[in-house]
Amino acid sequence: MATKLVTEKLSAWFGKKQVLKDVSIAFEEKQVTALVGPSGCGKSTFIRCLNRMHELNPGARVEGKVLLDGLDIYGMDPMDVRRKIGMVFQKPNPFPNMSISDNVVAGIRLSGEKRKADLDEIVERTLRSVGLYDEVKDDLRRSGASLSGGQQQRLCIARALAMEPEVILMDEPTSALDPASTSRIEELIRKLKSEITVIIITHNVGQAARVSDKTAFLYLGELIEYNETKEFFESPKSPITERYITGRFG
Amino acid sequence: MRLLSRRAKEKLIIAVLIALSGAAVIPLFWIIGSIVWNGVSVMSIEFLTSLPAPFGSSGGGIGNAIIGTLIINLFASGLGIPLGILTGIYLAEYAYDSKMGSAVRTIVESLSGVPSIVIGLFAFTLIVLTFRHYTGVAATLALGIMMIPLVAKATEESMRVVSNDLREAGMALGIPKYNITTRIVLSMAKGGVISGSLLAFARISGETAPLLFTALFSFYWPTGIDQPIATLQVLIYNYAISGFADWVAKAWGASLLLVLLVMTINVAVRTFGRKKCGGA
Repeated sequence: MATKLVTEKLSAWFGKKQVLKDVSIAFEEKQVTALVGPSGCGKSTFIRCLNRMHELNPGARVEGKVLLDGLDIYGMDPMDVRRKIGMVFQKPNPFPNMSISDNVVAGIRLSGEKRKADLDEIVERTLRSVGLYDEVKDDLRRSGASLSGGQQQRLCIARALAMEPEVILMDEPTSALDPASTSRIEELIRKLKSEITVIIITHNVGQAARVSDKTAFLYLGELIEYNETKEFFESPKSPITERYITGRFG
Repeated sequence: MRLLSRRAKEKLIIAVLIALSGAAVIPLFWIIGSIVWNGVSVMSIEFLTSLPAPFGSSGGGIGNAIIGTLIINLFASGLGIPLGILTGIYLAEYAYDSKMGSAVRTIVESLSGVPSIVIGLFAFTLIVLTFRHYTGVAATLALGIMMIPLVAKATEESMRVVSNDLREAGMALGIPKYNITTRIVLSMAKGGVISGSLLAFARISGETAPLLFTALFSFYWPTGIDQPIATLQVLIYNYAISGFADWVAKAWGASLLLVLLVMTINVAVRTFGRKKCGGA
C-alpha cells in the first residue's frame, strides 16, 4: 500500500508551549486513519499542521516536515495545500449567507481559480456522494443553515469534496451530532476511502474501531502507538494505550 | 411589619423611576411637539419645491436647501462610507490585535470625539482658503470625515461578531483571505454595515457648525458642488435668528423636515435591524 501523507519529526508550539513533540507517522493512501487520545493531547493541533491551519494562530510555530506524495507542504503555497487537503470541522459550519448549492461550490467559486467547471454537475455529484441530494434536491436555493445538524455536516463534507482533495481531515466530525446522524457519517467515511485518504480525529474509541483501518494514539503531544486498528484494540503494545482504550482515563 | 415597609420602599422606588424616566422623555416630546405645531402650518407644495421668495415678499420655499442637504449628504456619504467600511474591515480582519490596529482604532475613536466645528475649520482652511470661495466640496469633506468613525465602528463590530468558524471553513477550502473577508464575513455583516451607514447619514444631517463656513448658503438652486450651497441646517440658523416672522415660520418648517428625515432613518434602521436579528 502506498503512503500518501507522511510527517517527519513534526513539532508544534503555541507561543512557548510545545503541544506536539516529534510526531512521525505515515498515512496510507485511500485508507481511514483514526487519531485518538484524551482532550488536550494535541490531536487537533496535529491535524491542523497537516493543512497548514495551525500557523494561522498568533504565536503558533511548526517544525519538522509534512510530505504529501513526497513533497513538503511547508514549501508550497498554503492555499494550494488546503485545496489538496480538505478539512471538516467539529461543529458543522456551512456558510449561512449562501444557499445549499452555493455552499457546495463556495471553494471552487471563491478560491480564485479560473477553473471552467459545470457547477450544477458538481453540486449534484457531491451532494449525492454524501447522501444529501435526495433530501434537498427540491430546494437547493434555500440557506445551508436551514438544514439539520447532521445534514449541515454532510453539506460541509460535500463542500470539502467539491474541491476534489486528495486527503480529507476530519476533526471530531460527529461530536456535535445525534446517534442517527453519526452513523450516517460513519457510513459515509467508510465509503469515502475508495476515492480518498481520510484522517479522522475522534473522541470515541468505538468510532475509531468502526471506521478506521489504522489507529494512532497521541498522548501529551507524543505519538504513543500506531497500528492496524484491529491490532491496536486487540493487543495494544503500550500500557498507556491499553488504559486509554479500556476507558480508565481520558 | 418589616416586610411591608420593604414592599412600600420597592413601590416608592419604582414610582420615582417611572416619574424620572417620564421626565427624561418630556423634552423630546416637547421639542417634537413644538416643531410639528409650528412647522406644519408652512408646509405646502410651494414650500417644498420653490426657491426662497425675494427679500420682503412673502411666499417662496426652501426647495434649494432640501436639495442642497441631500446633495451634500450624498457626496459626504460617497466619501465617508467607503473609507469607513475599509477602515472597519482593516480593523476587524487584518489588524484586530496588532499594534497598528490599536493605533488606527485609537485615532478613529479620537476622530469621533473631535468637535464638528473643528472639522469644519479644517475643511475651511484646506479648501475654502485655498480656492478663496465658499464651496460645497469643503462641506462634503467635513461631513464625510465625520462619517468615517461611525461607519468604521459599525463595520468592525458587525464583522467581529461573525463566527470565526466561518473564517476557518473558508481558509480550509483554500479560499484567499480577501474573498473570505468580502464574500463571507462582510456579506454576513452587511446588515450592520448598512445600519451603521444610515445612522451616520442621519447623524450628519443634523450637523450645522461645519457647514456655516464651508457650504455657506445660497438663495438659488445648486449649480455645482464647488459652489456655495444652501442646506436645511444653515437655512434654519439664518432664518431663525433673522427676526422676520415669515422666515422664522420657514425655519420651523425646515426643522420639521430635518427631524422627519432623521427620525425616519432611525426608525427604519431599528425595525430593519430587529428583523435581521430575529431572522439570524
